Amino acid sequence: MKVPLEWLREFVVIDIEPYELADKLTMRGLEIESIEKISPQFKGVVVGRIKQIERVTELDNISLCIIDTGNKDVSVLCGAKNIKKGDKVPIALPGAELPGMPVIEEKTIKGYNSVGMLCSERELGLSDDHSGIFILPDDFTVGKELREEPGLDDIVLDINVTPNRGDCLSIFGIAREVASILNQKAKIPIFELPKDRKGKIEDFISLKVFDLEACPRYVLRMIENVDIVPSPYWMRRRIQRCGMRPINSIVDVTNYVMLELGQPLHAFDYERLKQRRIEVKLAERPITFCTLDGEDRALEKGDLLICDGEGPVAIAGIMGGENSEITNATRIIALESAYFNPLFIRRTARRLGLKSEASLRFEKGIDLENVDFSAQRAIALMHEIAGGVVIDGSLEINDAKKREGIFVSFGKINEVLGTNIDHSTILNALRSIDLHIVREEEKGFVVSVPWFRHDINEYMDIVEEVARIYGYDNIPVTTPRSPVVQFRKNKKNKIVSKVKEFLVSSGFFEVINFAFLSVKDIENFFISDGDERFSYVQILNPISKEYGIMRTFMAPNVIKNIAYNINRGIKNAKLFEIGKVFHPIKNEKLPREDIHLFLALTGKERDYYWKEQYKNFDFFDIKGVVEGIGERFGLNFVFQKTKEPFLEEKYSSDVFLEDVKIGWIGEIKKDVLTLYEIEQKVYGGEVNLMPFIEKAILDFKYRSIPRYPQVVRDFSFFVDESIPASTVIDKIKEMSPLIISVDIFDMFRKEKRSISFRVVFQSFEETLRDETVNEIQEKIIKEITKIDGISLRV
Amino acid sequence: MNEIEELRLKIDGKLVSINSLESLTSVKAELLGRKGLFANLIDRIKLLSKEEKKIYGQSINALKVYTENRLNEIKIGLEQKQKEMADKASWIDITLPGKAPLVGKIHPITKVISEIIEIFVSLGFSVVEGPEIELDYYNFEALNIPSDHPARDLQDTFYIKEGVVLRTHTSPVEIRVMESQLPPVRIISPGAVYRCDNDISHTPMFHQVEGLMVDKGIRFSDLKGILTIFIHEMFGEDIALRFRPSYFPFTEPSAEVDICCVICGGKGCRVCKDTGWLEILGSGMTNPQVFRNVGYDPEEVTGFAFGLGVERIAMLKYGIDDIRQFYYNDLRFISQF
Ligand SMILES: [Zn+2]
Repeated sequence: MKVPLEWLREFVVIDIEPYELADKLTMRGLEIESIEKISPQFKGVVVGRIKQIERVTELDNISLCIIDTGNKDVSVLCGAKNIKKGDKVPIALPGAELPGMPVIEEKTIKGYNSVGMLCSERELGLSDDHSGIFILPDDFTVGKELREEPGLDDIVLDINVTPNRGDCLSIFGIAREVASILNQKAKIPIFELPKDRKGKIEDFISLKVFDLEACPRYVLRMIENVDIVPSPYWMRRRIQRCGMRPINSIVDVTNYVMLELGQPLHAFDYERLKQRRIEVKLAERPITFCTLDGEDRALEKGDLLICDGEGPVAIAGIMGGENSEITNATRIIALESAYFNPLFIRRTARRLGLKSEASLRFEKGIDLENVDFSAQRAIALMHEIAGGVVIDGSLEINDAKKREGIFVSFGKINEVLGTNIDHSTILNALRSIDLHIVREEEKGFVVSVPWFRHDINEYMDIVEEVARIYGYDNIPVTTPRSPVVQFRKNKKNKIVSKVKEFLVSSGFFEVINFAFLSVKDIENFFISDGDERFSYVQILNPISKEYGIMRTFMAPNVIKNIAYNINRGIKNAKLFEIGKVFHPIKNEKLPREDIHLFLALTGKERDYYWKEQYKNFDFFDIKGVVEGIGERFGLNFVFQKTKEPFLEEKYSSDVFLEDVKIGWIGEIKKDVLTLYEIEQKVYGGEVNLMPFIEKAILDFKYRSIPRYPQVVRDFSFFVDESIPASTVIDKIKEMSPLIISVDIFDMFRKEKRSISFRVVFQSFEETLRDETVNEIQEKIIKEITKIDGISLRV
Repeated sequence: MNEIEELRLKIDGKLVSINSLESLTSVKAELLGRKGLFANLIDRIKLLSKEEKKIYGQSINALKVYTENRLNEIKIGLEQKQKEMADKASWIDITLPGKAPLVGKIHPITKVISEIIEIFVSLGFSVVEGPEIELDYYNFEALNIPSDHPARDLQDTFYIKEGVVLRTHTSPVEIRVMESQLPPVRIISPGAVYRCDNDISHTPMFHQVEGLMVDKGIRFSDLKGILTIFIHEMFGEDIALRFRPSYFPFTEPSAEVDICCVICGGKGCRVCKDTGWLEILGSGMTNPQVFRNVGYDPEEVTGFAFGLGVERIAMLKYGIDDIRQFYYNDLRFISQF
């Protein structure tokens, strides 16, 4: 809501600096978004009065005007037609500066001297009106610098009005708060309907409201023989400074009163209303209706309409129809002032995607008690600026209910706020914003809430008002008195952060992506229809196709991150992301949300180091990281041949935890990478952390360091390629409980594949004797070489 | 005595030829060894008369001592030289770059969330989580935002299907927690939230941390207390802050918390829109209607809730001016945190 201070001062005396006022309003919950200073861009323009106008015969359409500029008369040539003798006009004297124009000079045309220039509003930079000379208000002083006249300089506060405070969408509403801040009462506008009224409104028009729930109050008033002309400068200026566009005397008045009092009004061209009737009713079936912006609107059953004898003339509270709008030919006005149920307005406005200044106010709830006052105010203003004769009386339907009073205890207020505010301060605070204290008791009071405050319905709403007016700054700062609450353990959170720690210390960088994918991403990874990753949650209104669905796996986004970095010259990367993936569950409203870990390696550990050279990352680099994570949480992953469609089968594997596949690791297929414009190898790995979190062991027990020495024995075998090394390791481990570890310390290929194993023996009860170990050693050799395809290397 | 002089010259000649510890050993053997020069001379002394023995013996002996001393000097010299040579061979250029361990980095969003969690955990809050795809009921209705409520305009919602949305804030977790337990409640809930918005100051996904404290006798002044502690921990003891009335459908009274602009120090700048203040979080006393919705009795308990924008805090803390930076995942960006 834009609030020009010049206008606001009509209702309240502002005796503090604008910045201070802005600050106080902000601390009242009316946050000032900006403070705009308006000051005229011209210099050397004075108020003049036209003493004489003469046509100049030698020049087409040009008059010579004699202008009284206070201390002397000057002659000016002027081409405008809207001026007459006696008008006060702005005259730019020689030396004057106008925005975007060369300095004004004295000129002589065909022997006529022109000392300066009469200006339009546009030439002065006041508006874009260039239809004629700016006729100044009569109370301006001849000879005075125009820029010194009141109202030209102004300050406009742009206030962010929260959705609960519809009452502050008007200058008067803001004035009420300002008055409360400054210990005043806002002054209600004073006006009178003209005495010489004509006829009776009942003879002109009839009114019927069919749905009182949708429209509990409706007022019609009329005025005839109006002039559809531009409204006066002061009115246009205020409308403009509030961010609206002046149109004509009638429409401007409806907007002006809406801005002033918060009551949206609608003016109908009476003569275009069929059968001279107004009926307020809900649409019974879908119809198309052309609003005054020329758009056809599809109305549905239940939309609240204003109809004449034949059909709709307005979508109630949202926008009028083309069929009854004010035109230059309009002579008689039927003015609507009504209260429409916010729910109806909001529903229709939202569905039509049509918002207006009126609907904005109706859907927040306007002042039900102000409906007719605003209509009278508008009729009086119309009479003032558009002339005409007011038709006597009004038609009104009023089904307004009384609001219940709210009982609030003083104790409760102070209890909730943690304050000790005395009773009179509380009551005065509430009175200052026009809440009515109906009854005061020892322990509390009953407050009646006026109809402009739709946000106040129970005691807590009153507590809020007291806090707001008392000042949040004045409420003490305390710590809760309640004892410590039972702490909830969160294993998931703990493990996720420990996995992150592990990865960062292993050189990985964390990335965070939007949890979206496109269907194309799934296809890019050759994932087939039946795959779980192809059953996704779709967003009905996505930002773009690229973000059309919720991700079902992590890989595509991180692969895109790799491409992004490679394109920027970063060819070595170790990335990880931990985030949610989403899978719909049959017959459930909400999908399953799993936490996945994704790892990616590309390039090499380092490009160079002067002492040594680095090899590119390979399968074992990614496998080692995954094994490391398992070990960190006391879990043992098993790696088996994979069938993932996007992996190079030879350099990849599935990851199992206790016989359940929880993910995969390996080299991403070239065909996939090409789709993301990556030319170098990328190793990835994706693991579902849900089963992992469930089984992970966080609390390790200390195992005492063995008092007896270890014995180490090495074995070398020729192992056929068809036999996985892990099979041999598992077999060796089975040989004796004294074996605590089996590692591979060498492997090479000549004619046959040779693998060397290091086996560590350890007893926790005694020093191992050579004979014992020798016995196991013999057994290992004997048993392992029994396997077809394995022989001892001597 | 010519013979002795000749011998000395001969010995000096030998000694001069020594250029390494190896040649020293062989010269030493040649002269002083069991079959060396002096051994020979001593054998010859045995054949001389007593007189001659005495004179000759003395001269030979002096010569031997001389030889031994010289050999010793040469040895020390050679050892010194060898040590110097060895030093030279093992010299390194200490200005060459060292080999730094390769450590990764946590994303700044995670970093800020962890800091927030740490502060609230120390204040006795537990961490809980909720779904990111949420029922309309939890995201809106139960939080006092019915479908026709104007506050729905404040949030551009992603819709999944009838009654299901991408959560627009972390507040639905409050409802889920209160539905699942009786008071007292003291929780925080970090996580991703979604809004249909994409420009220099909005991303369609961002992060919030929700907080909720419910018990008998929780006051607005307690809300001020807890959040003041948090802001001082997060931005430093000296930072000025203010609580300003605002509006959220699920809290009442509601308060927005501003901190003194970290860019201009409160003088007014572009970032703070000349106000000198930066909005940092939203908060308020839980609306009694919300308590009724979860079956708590608002006459029995009171509480407060707050919501922090993680990206916003990170941007202010690190001076980042474009929220989208967080989601490009440029390593040159992430490696700075
Ligand atoms: Zn600033």
